[in-house]
Amino acid sequence: MTTFANYLDTVLFAVFPYVAMVLFLVGTIHRYRSESFTYSSLSSQLLENKQHFWAVVPFHYGIITVLTGHIVAFLIPRQFLLFNSKPLRLYILEVSALIFGITTLVSLLAIIARRFTDPRVRVVTTKADWFLYGMLLLQVFCGVYVAIFYRWGSAWFAASASPYLWSLLKLRPEIAVIAAMPFAVKLHIVNAWLVIAFFPFTRLVHILVVPNQYLFRKRQVVRWYRRPQMARS
Amino acid sequence: MMSNTYRRALLVAATVTLITASARAADEAATYFRQNCMSCHTIGGGRLVGPDLKDVTQRRDKGWLQKFVANPKSYLDGGDPYVAKLKEDARGAVMPNIAGIDEARALALLEMIERESKLPKSQFAGLNIGDQPFTPSDIANGRAIILGEKHLANGGPACVSCHSVDNISILGGGKLAPDLTKVFERMRGRKNLASWLQAPATPTMRPLFANQSMTNDEITQLVAYLETTARKPQQTGDTATLSFFFLGLGGCVLGFIGADTVWRKRLRGVRKPLIEEARRGDR
Repeated sequence: MTTFANYLDTVLFAVFPYVAMVLFLVGTIHRYRSESFTYSSLSSQLLENKQHFWAVVPFHYGIITVLTGHIVAFLIPRQFLLFNSKPLRLYILEVSALIFGITTLVSLLAIIARRFTDPRVRVVTTKADWFLYGMLLLQVFCGVYVAIFYRWGSAWFAASASPYLWSLLKLRPEIAVIAAMPFAVKLHIVNAWLVIAFFPFTRLVHILVVPNQYLFRKRQVVRWYRRPQMARS
Repeated sequence: MMSNTYRRALLVAATVTLITASARAADEAATYFRQNCMSCHTIGGGRLVGPDLKDVTQRRDKGWLQKFVANPKSYLDGGDPYVAKLKEDARGAVMPNIAGIDEARALALLEMIERESKLPKSQFAGLNIGDQPFTPSDIANGRAIILGEKHLANGGPACVSCHSVDNISILGGGKLAPDLTKVFERMRGRKNLASWLQAPATPTMRPLFANQSMTNDEITQLVAYLETTARKPQQTGDTATLSFFFLGLGGCVLGFIGADTVWRKRLRGVRKPLIEEARRGDR
């Protein structure tokens, strides 16, 4: 039993990540070159506008903030731990992260409900979309669960998960710490690799082609052509 | 034909290589002992969870010990009376199979233990914290280390990242790892707890502290604080998790209300009112 568990841990945390990374790299490049037109997350705002505001918009605020937190803690773990060395700062960081985490979870549920209930949006939802929503729901649920029940994630992520991720990048995986983590944490990690593996085959590719220049461009003026004299005469 | 000088040079080179190689092996054995064995064993410092290993090779055959250390699990299930005695002395605690051990390493460890046993005071004699009461400043420093307010000298993360202790602050400590309020009792006192902290041996803590171990002062202060928390009556109930959850949920609700307020004009039409206006004008 122990040997099987060890074997499984090695496969899931030391082998699968590389499979996922290769799939991600090869898949995204291939799709960009061969099917550039599909490289997007087709907007459904035109089809349904009211629920959209309560689902897709907060989801993006939530997920972008939470993901940024993960990436920063991965890149500069030591500074992260130093920031957390005053309990008040740790609490402020953790509560803010949880707020964004719960926002992500609630709005993801709203996204799924909207996709399911609105007939026009449902028609344009593909099987890959449903699969992606399933993975994301599991991922966000696990994340919020871990944040609440295995606190303080921001501190132990920097201390234990960050070195694991770096060890993968250095091609010398060290999985002992991860292997000893609770089930929910392990599920969150494995599912993250799963999302990365399927990334090129889903609408997630839009992350790679976000039109960032839109944030800085000049406003476009869109005018209604009234022809006032004719209309009023 | 080799010249004499050449032969001599070769001999010196070989000796030097041999000496440095064995010194490196000894170093490695000491490091391995520090990271994996020291939390349960001393050499000449008395028993912890496991027996004192001073002169262990005189108490039991070296070949047998080598096999036992390499794979204790296989012996613990057998009916060996010596192993049964060990188990009884340790009050049921058994030696696990240690990561990275094999018979060669076990032999290196036993040789290192033999050398250390001959010394007047081994480096693995354990941290000797006396029976004197701790000073209030020790206790306060211990608390500060746990909270992370006082940084560990060698860079280990703060205890509160993963552990809770007593009601150390409003939202409590971490919940990933066991609560430390009563750890002083669980580890049965100062000496065991201090030795354990010198080289924490759990899978999660070992990699964190293997290369950034705590100093003796820090360990003393931690033990001081944990001794006081163990003596206080146990607090019941975990309100921190619930408060944390409701803070998160409340913030989320406020965020949604805020978004609704900021973008309250979001559904104001552009096209429809213009068309209506145009139509009104037509009439």
